[in-house]
Amino acid sequence: MNQGRGVLLPFYLVIDVSASMSGDKLESANKIMPKVVDALALNPILSDKVRFGLIDFGSDARVQLPLCDVLDENLTLPQLSVRGSTSYAKAFELLRSEIAANVQLLKADGYAVHRPAVFFLSDGEPNAEDWQSAFRELTVYDRATKSGFAMYPNFVPCGVDGANGTILKTLIHPATGSKQMQMYLMDKGEDAAKAITAIAEILISSMLASGQSAVHGDSGIILPPKGDVPSGISAYHADDWV
Amino acid sequence: MHRNVVETGAGPVDDPVPVDPVIGASVVREQVPLAELDAAVASGSTGAAEEPRWRGGFTRFSVGDPGRAGQAVQPAPALGWWDQRDTVLDGVLFTDGSGQRALELRAASVRGLSHRYYGKVRQDEYAYRCTADNGFLVAAVADGVSAGRFSHHAARVVTRQGCALIANWLREVEPDDLPWVGVLEELSAAVVDGGRRLLRQREGSQLDADGLDLHAIAGELAATALFAVVDLRADTSERTAHLLALGDTSAWVLRSGTTWEALQPIKNDGAVIATSATSALPVVPAEVGPPRRVTVGPGDALVLVSDGIGDPLGDGTGDVGAFLASVWRRPPAALEFAAQVDFARKSYDDDRTAVVLWPLASR
Repeated sequence: MNQGRGVLLPFYLVIDVSASMSGDKLESANKIMPKVVDALALNPILSDKVRFGLIDFGSDARVQLPLCDVLDENLTLPQLSVRGSTSYAKAFELLRSEIAANVQLLKADGYAVHRPAVFFLSDGEPNAEDWQSAFRELTVYDRATKSGFAMYPNFVPCGVDGANGTILKTLIHPATGSKQMQMYLMDKGEDAAKAITAIAEILISSMLASGQSAVHGDSGIILPPKGDVPSGISAYHADDWV
Repeated sequence: MHRNVVETGAGPVDDPVPVDPVIGASVVREQVPLAELDAAVASGSTGAAEEPRWRGGFTRFSVGDPGRAGQAVQPAPALGWWDQRDTVLDGVLFTDGSGQRALELRAASVRGLSHRYYGKVRQDEYAYRCTADNGFLVAAVADGVSAGRFSHHAARVVTRQGCALIANWLREVEPDDLPWVGVLEELSAAVVDGGRRLLRQREGSQLDADGLDLHAIAGELAATALFAVVDLRADTSERTAHLLALGDTSAWVLRSGTTWEALQPIKNDGAVIATSATSALPVVPAEVGPPRRVTVGPGDALVLVSDGIGDPLGDGTGDVGAFLASVWRRPPAALEFAAQVDFARKSYDDDRTAVVLWPLASR
């Protein structure tokens, strides 16, 4: 069914709230969504299309803000607080079920939905668990056989402090091709709270760039060029050495 | 009736409401509700028994939620492309071989909200012309691919030269025998030539424009194409149309003013994730067509649109389908038609182009 209800660009922000995120880092992370709201409020073209969802994860993962229009005047932004360890697997599993449910519902309502974009922010290494399988379930799709997850997102991993660049780099998706994504990693010795603020800037500038290209670009997200990222952060492609 | 503005005592526009001479200046003037004030303005009346001196007004069309963009976008100029118009429109009546009223045409191409907001040119285009013997009407719609900085030029070449080429062929062949692939190849060459010329103008010796291959040129300028050939020869009210589309510009029959019949598969129908990838000239795909042949009669309309309208129209069963079916049951005034093409609907901000043809009953 295609009734021309609207065109949507879904963004998901997934934030690590394990114990190590407490203090400045969490405070900085809690300021990301208000900045997104301020940026969207200035751009009527983009705010008509962008839908934002917020998931946090520690030992478990929770939907803190279901995919929504963040300029909705009845909306209250959630405040994140720390809890437990660092389960990437729980985050990927919840993200997959959220994307599937959200896209199906929006399509049933007659909307055209562009491929979702995920910004994944972590300050540590994942728990010793099989997060790799959960990530494959989220991202692998074979066009020829139509097997896997057709709604797979464009995945942008972002790391600060103790995040392991070698691990995070494996989360860049797509890793190759004309629509390859990037990883954003805090440079050694930088302040992690400031790095999170810089990552928020990258998120917002790619959202703004995506709005300009959304009419004809089917990836739905344009990342800033490598040389254009704020200081304290470096951008990497999947084949870059970290 | 002619009235002199000075004699009727109307002051300058920014003059406050005149003070009541009887009560004097001490009274606080009555608040006139805005709606009444608007109504008075719309009829050109200054109140009381005076006959209106003018009528009319404009309310923007919107379907459902107009969106924030529909209300807030301030149109920025497209810097550097001063001669590419923001909006173009036409309203024309065509006659058949015996001079009888045969076909009404309305056409409009309107810069989308997104291009207005970002100060980019309108990349859609349309064109139409009759053959020299008045036997056929040829119409075209093209949508410049937004990734290319010169795509509006590709759209212009495709529509104008496309109509001219097809009209030329119709001197020799019947519409069924039109060499569509040859036409597309000729247009492809014209787009490439135009692209090289623009690149030489803009880049000078910085770039080897002649050394660029077809796909490199297509990255700079490309446009979809939709052509329709309508037979005006017969003294009949049923009109046969031949159509060919390349890319996501789409043709429809609005049957009896009620039902939308798509003449091509619905875009993204059944797709899990929406994409906007589309075929566009100068790249001629290995498989073209086949051309469609369709008959439209009085009460029907043949509707050619860019995806700026095709996307919100969807499969025609939604609110936009109901809106356009209602306002295009009969040919509206040309300016009104352009305003309808520019309807506001949340998140639909692409350039919009429509060419609509209404066959008229023969007498």
